[in-house]
Amino acid sequence: MPTLRRALAAAAVAALVLPLGACGSGDGGGGSTDASGKVEGDITFQTWNLRANFKPYFEGVVADFEKKYPDTKVKWIDQPAEGYADKISADAAGGTLPDVVNVSPDLVAPLAKAGLALDLDKAASSYRKEYLDGAWASHRIPGMTGTYAFPWYLNTGPLFYNKTLFERAGLDADRPPTTYDDLFAQALRLARETGGKVATLANVPTVEDFGRYGVQLMNKEGTGFAFNDAKGVELLTKYKELYDAKALDPQALTATPESSGKKFLTGAVAMNPGSALDLGNFKKQAPGLYKNIGITDQITSTGHVNMYVMGVMVNSRTKHTAASVAFAHFVTDAQRQMSFAKKVAIFPSTAGSLDDPYFTEQDGTDETRVRVAAAKSLKNAVNYTPVLFSEQMKSALRNEVAKALQGKETPKAALDNAVKACDTLLRQQG
Amino acid sequence: MASPTAPAPTTRVRRQLPTSPWLFAAPGLLIVGVFILYPFLSTLVNSFTDRRTLLPGRYVGLANFRELLHDDMFWIGLRNSTLYVLGVVPALVVLPLLLALLVRKNIPGITFFRSAFYTPVVASIVVVGLIWVWLLDERGLVNAVLEAVGVGRVGFLSDQWLLLISAMAVTVWKGLGYYMIIYLAALANVPRELHEAAAVDGAGAVRRFLSVTVPAVRSTMVLVGALSSVAAFKVFSEVYLMAGPSGGPAGEDTTLVMLVQRTGTGLTGRVGYASALSVVVFVVTVALMLLVLRADRKDES
Repeated sequence: MPTLRRALAAAAVAALVLPLGACGSGDGGGGSTDASGKVEGDITFQTWNLRANFKPYFEGVVADFEKKYPDTKVKWIDQPAEGYADKISADAAGGTLPDVVNVSPDLVAPLAKAGLALDLDKAASSYRKEYLDGAWASHRIPGMTGTYAFPWYLNTGPLFYNKTLFERAGLDADRPPTTYDDLFAQALRLARETGGKVATLANVPTVEDFGRYGVQLMNKEGTGFAFNDAKGVELLTKYKELYDAKALDPQALTATPESSGKKFLTGAVAMNPGSALDLGNFKKQAPGLYKNIGITDQITSTGHVNMYVMGVMVNSRTKHTAASVAFAHFVTDAQRQMSFAKKVAIFPSTAGSLDDPYFTEQDGTDETRVRVAAAKSLKNAVNYTPVLFSEQMKSALRNEVAKALQGKETPKAALDNAVKACDTLLRQQG
Repeated sequence: MASPTAPAPTTRVRRQLPTSPWLFAAPGLLIVGVFILYPFLSTLVNSFTDRRTLLPGRYVGLANFRELLHDDMFWIGLRNSTLYVLGVVPALVVLPLLLALLVRKNIPGITFFRSAFYTPVVASIVVVGLIWVWLLDERGLVNAVLEAVGVGRVGFLSDQWLLLISAMAVTVWKGLGYYMIIYLAALANVPRELHEAAAVDGAGAVRRFLSVTVPAVRSTMVLVGALSSVAAFKVFSEVYLMAGPSGGPAGEDTTLVMLVQRTGTGLTGRVGYASALSVVVFVVTVALMLLVLRADRKDES
């Protein structure tokens, strides 16, 4: 065991130190921002946990691209979901970042600040009109000019609930909560009726939850956080009430999305946010639950549901700018996104795609019902996650929220501290 | 065995070059230099900068260390790592010794028990950690048993202190076999005659353990104490797996090494500050080693 721990420690030290050795090398072989040249060369494309399920799809995309541009060769690599940000940061610091990389807006921000992401407003402005305006804007970074990734797929999802648990608590399972007040009242009742054994929610509020509740997350200039306003305090006070009544799972303070998903599957928790992807999962892993699954819309006070945005960025140091930009556009164009959407429950970010009958017409199945509802809500959805919200900020917010729920701090003091900590981290990001 | 009267070797050895010893040592030195010395020195250098993962840093003097003093998380980490040493080390010094005494005798089937006690050492910490997480979960096996006997559920994984204690228990459980082997080797060197003489003088089993066995394996106990305290202060995996990446409720179970990982990694990692934390971990670890070895010397005099 000590050897193992030493190895872990050594790995940690190495991870800390590795960037140093590589910092000088990155600046040398600079690529150009000019994407107008001939589309040729060998490029590498990295996706985020997509190989396991969509290998044939991506091999098809690569083959089609190479057929269209015979002088190119695309090497496709995939990284697992966990530790994706660490992998990218190691590559970025080591000068081995692939030419075309699957990112999300919060990942692209530090890369753009380090000058590693190509500004597409300059290099690929002609493609801009092919995408939804909101989606294109999602890879802009406060305090910088430019757009640093092509928008790729969007995702949002409904709220799933366990009808059996609702009925057992004497609630009408066909009338799930639609407002926050409803949600809190029903959650408290569920906890009371079951003697605290069934919680309704399994996760502490995240920055997205504050956003959905109508809290202003950042000031208008994007220079500081603002979620400690009256509305934010109100939400956290409500959650504290839920936590005390065990309507928020007692293990919520250390929960991860995976662990709370499991709790929903085992019937320990009555509600869980998810996506259309989860339906298949329920069917396979918890057939009993699947028979009694309730599906309802995300609850918001703003009328705008939360969406997650995926992007595809081009490494500014690529040796083949033209080919990389062409490929990033190729993967994210309307035709490719549409065929990807038909393989898996994601939504295209290209203009007009959501009006396709595939996203508007019901066929009586649950999957389609979820898909059509999600596509409709996406038209005015918001990506609440602030682009500049780093992992360290997430953990600062999470810790302060936990202190408030445990009663060690008042909700107001906790949010004040969280805002202060996040502001300090924001300044340190430079 | 060579005796003083043995004849001198007859084959003549060629005179060695002055550089030969260095050549023999070169592979080792190179590995030490590249993988230990260089990372160590650059961590030291980084600790005086505000370097971030993707942005080069400036020299900031002692600013990182000054910030440490006002960082609540640092004090939480220091407290937890220290508690870990206090909780784990006494158990890891005493329990494996008792275990070694238990499996020392060569009776039929004893190999099975020796191997069984050693199994956790070989098992992957991640696998072991996950198994314990399942066992101790709110709805896990342990809580099911507790509920059946009428104690009621215990929040092993949701209470700040129970979490830390559970992690310590896993560390002890996993370390038992490793230190047991060390003690077995030491026990083999305790002269039988001493035990027999003590028995003749009328000493019981407990008395013989305290007066014969313990003094004979004392230096081994110091070694185990030093090894386990250093390992305990640098604990990461057990707490990370059981308390989660956030380090328990409100991060109250974060250890120093977890804090290094959290602040220093990712695209927005603060490499400079995390390096300063690592330097503190290093200083405390060295101090801990010296303390244990010093206690040993004092006892001897």
